[in-house]
Amino acid sequence: MSEVETPLLEVRQVGKQFPGVRALHDVDLLVQHAEVLAVIGENGAGKSTLMKILAGVQLPDSGQVLIDGKPVILDSVKASLDSGVALIHQELNLAENLQVGENIYLGREPNRCGFIDRKQINQDAAKVLKQIGLDVSPTKPLSELSIGQRQMVEIAKAMSVGARVLIMDEPTSSLSSAEAERLFEVVHDLRRSGVSIIYISHRLGEVKALADRVVVLRDGENAGLLKRNEISHDSMVRMMVGRDISQFYSRETLATGDVVLSVEGLRTPTWPEHELDFTIRQGEIVGISGLVGAGRTEMLRTLFGVDYPIAGKVVVEGTPVDLSSPLTAINAGIALVPEDRKLNGLVIDMSVRHNIGLAALSRNRLLGGFLNHRVERRDTSQMINDLRIKTPNDNQIARFLSGGNQQKVVLGKWLSMLPKILLLDEPTRGIDVGAKQEIYQLMEKLAKEGLAVLFVSSEMEEIMGMSDRTIVMHEGRITGELQRSELSEEAIMQLATGKANEGATVID
Amino acid sequence: MNAKSLGIFGLLVMLFVFMVLMTSDPWTDIFSSTFLQSNNLENLLRRVSMYGLLGIGVAFVIITGGIDLSVGSIVCLAGCLLGIFLQVDYEPASVFDVRSANSQQQSVVVYGNADGTYKAGDKLRMYRGRRPALLTVLDVEPVQLANSDNKSIGVGTVLKVEGLSRDEDSGQVAMAFEIADFGPAEKDQPAWVSLRDVPFDLTARDRVTFFHPTLGLKDLVVSAATQDGSVSRIEFEQTLGERFSKEWMAVPTERQQRMAIPLAILSVLGIAGLLGLIHGLLVTRVHLQPFVVTLCGLLIYRGISRWLVDDNPVGFGIEYKETLSPLGSGKLTLFEWGDGANTFGIPYPLFVFLCAAVVAAVFLNLTIWGRYLMALGSNEEAARYSGIRTGRVTILAYVICTVCAATGGILFALDSGSISPSSFGNFYELYAIAAAVLGGCSLRGGEGSIFGVIAGTAVMMLLNNLILLLKIPDRLEFTIIGLVILVGVTLDETVRRIAARRRAMKSASN
Repeated sequence: MSEVETPLLEVRQVGKQFPGVRALHDVDLLVQHAEVLAVIGENGAGKSTLMKILAGVQLPDSGQVLIDGKPVILDSVKASLDSGVALIHQELNLAENLQVGENIYLGREPNRCGFIDRKQINQDAAKVLKQIGLDVSPTKPLSELSIGQRQMVEIAKAMSVGARVLIMDEPTSSLSSAEAERLFEVVHDLRRSGVSIIYISHRLGEVKALADRVVVLRDGENAGLLKRNEISHDSMVRMMVGRDISQFYSRETLATGDVVLSVEGLRTPTWPEHELDFTIRQGEIVGISGLVGAGRTEMLRTLFGVDYPIAGKVVVEGTPVDLSSPLTAINAGIALVPEDRKLNGLVIDMSVRHNIGLAALSRNRLLGGFLNHRVERRDTSQMINDLRIKTPNDNQIARFLSGGNQQKVVLGKWLSMLPKILLLDEPTRGIDVGAKQEIYQLMEKLAKEGLAVLFVSSEMEEIMGMSDRTIVMHEGRITGELQRSELSEEAIMQLATGKANEGATVID
Repeated sequence: MNAKSLGIFGLLVMLFVFMVLMTSDPWTDIFSSTFLQSNNLENLLRRVSMYGLLGIGVAFVIITGGIDLSVGSIVCLAGCLLGIFLQVDYEPASVFDVRSANSQQQSVVVYGNADGTYKAGDKLRMYRGRRPALLTVLDVEPVQLANSDNKSIGVGTVLKVEGLSRDEDSGQVAMAFEIADFGPAEKDQPAWVSLRDVPFDLTARDRVTFFHPTLGLKDLVVSAATQDGSVSRIEFEQTLGERFSKEWMAVPTERQQRMAIPLAILSVLGIAGLLGLIHGLLVTRVHLQPFVVTLCGLLIYRGISRWLVDDNPVGFGIEYKETLSPLGSGKLTLFEWGDGANTFGIPYPLFVFLCAAVVAAVFLNLTIWGRYLMALGSNEEAARYSGIRTGRVTILAYVICTVCAATGGILFALDSGSISPSSFGNFYELYAIAAAVLGGCSLRGGEGSIFGVIAGTAVMMLLNNLILLLKIPDRLEFTIIGLVILVGVTLDETVRRIAARRRAMKSASN
């Protein structure tokens, strides 16, 4: 790789605006021939937007994209593919009802007088599959493949159109560690064969192992570039966060009060074979860590009455609670800020006021079921002030707020109900750094006021920085609890991978 | 009122002005407009009210993100059920079904034991189409009846009679009474008669059939009756006519209405509500798609309606002319001119409709359930996560829809007086859905206003009127309505996109 060589792909001063958010601002990116370039940054840093621009899904508002030194206009997915850029989606874009080969050639089937030429498809597909080392028959239905294999099919599809730059967006997020291993081998093979890879991941361990260079984005801008020998966990985190972690999280351990929530022998419908037991005290912030799919979200859903528990006892302040619906959980003083705020947290097309007031409508209602507008307005303006929600007025439609402010609206909805226990599922996912810090401060403040806070997070720094105590889950059961003094990434990772599995690669 | 409602309201006003101008002759004299004739306007208001009820109902379901295709069939079912519940029979005293009558032997065989009811010397009316026959009983003798296989089919009675002039194998016989006295002497005055030994007390609205073997039949409605020992004095508002004499015979009949009017209406609405409940349960608990559930409803209720009334027309006749029918076809007269030849009034259905609209609007905008409805229509998951019992609210919407449809069905049925179960209410669901969509309801749910639905219905009815008054071939009716809706929603979508983009740009630059 020589420095004078024309870069394969170059992004110059690209900018992109979205309603309420500046997603990208003058971002530069260089991809050399046959390299693995990792793009990292926190959620909302602009990685996905940048990749969508490269894949032709979105057009930039300003700036240029050059391929082989020549400006190109990537105004459609086809235009990008023609230029040799292919995106492997986070959510796989494959048709489950079709065969592997048909998927690879979907939309550009070789045909004979309009009839699909199956023989040709299967021959060609077999060739590509062999190239990336996936040992499945092209005629196998896709639905019979594992997630990892499907991802390989996506890669095969990209290779079959002659992609020279392959964008992988969080490719390991739903893979087992063995599958992830295979993927890394394929990435190495691809690079050896001259393909460049833009690798997006939150898992810094992977990045460290794979990347030739690392580009860090923060708040839609370039935050720095790390060469191979400069890549380290600390350097990456520092660049991503923009300050030292120790300043970012300022949790002081507090004296905690009585037990507010105690969970005994709880079996969730997703993992009915495991019993969950734990307690939380007043003023305590408890983090729940674990890998994706460890059953953390499911546990919160069960505690909130969304999923009906198979067995077990949940006691809030000494009173057993029957968690048959979110309503019973809410009445017991439990609140949940769900993982996907657009899906479960907000009625995105309703106003800020209506969203904040939604859960308390019944509690505040007037005689005859009439709305209590006065209380709703009062609560809303209090929440807008307390949580510093940036909105022109309380009639603003939630859709037009930034992610952080949307999250604050969800929080406001619950805080106006004065809950005893606050469950947070990935509370800072997809929101900018500033809002993130505000949410951390809020969690602290609430804990100080005596709330019990239980939060699920996949961001190690968040767990390490925020929790008084950490519960680690693995495949539906609690594998351990760590006090603040015992917290370390290694300790969490050991528990999160089920202890026995110490050789696991997927460590970040 | 939001911008969307305003848009449809604008369209409504434009259409109105257009109609006035197009139907005036010459253009300058707008009072010559056939559109502005009072009966046309009344008719229009009536139709808007009745279709509007359906629109409001279906709007609730559409706001939840569902659909109700069964509205038209519910309308039909409600009409048929009301007809059945309010059916009136006039039952004569001591009536028996005839099995056979033999004119040679002068004997009549009836089903059931008539011994004790009839005795020798009684006069009977034999029903035979429009020509009455008078029989005199000579002897009464019970028999065992048997069918052609000699199987017993129960007790019967052989009546030996006098006066039978032809054979019969069906019909009825009923007790007839001689006229004890009648009056007044002036035959053009309201009449009265007295009868002896009538086995039940006659009251107002019962009827008496007078007949004469050669002079014919007369059916009079009782206005009052008094009982004095065995003599009943019966008064009528009608006259008996010149030819009436004591030769005539009387068959008093008792008016039998199956249900009181309020009970009948409540029953119809209750049944409709129950069907809505079933729709709602199937949608929320069994997780069937609303389209499928209510499509099946459309087919099922249509079939049930036709089966219930044997595909015969259901009419309310003159029975409820004074009491219930005006609710559908009557009006509250406001102005009269030209010696009462011209009147303008507010059709009664409009009052029903306005009440429903006000209640619906208050429910939707001012109560927590209205807010729940909007929230769950927009994002059911988020509503559930906020502690809202989304299932119940959704079911409520389906119940509201079918009850509104049944209310509309009652009014439609009363207005037209007679309905035919195979066609009554056909396509009404599409009118209702179109009105709701035109009025700003999104089929994706979470959007809609009662005002919009009213305006949407009015636009639909104006278009309908326009086709009639401008003498556009009515074959084109659906085409024109379809095109207008298409243009309307296209404009709306375009305007909304532009507005959203502008808003997005504005908030981005903040």
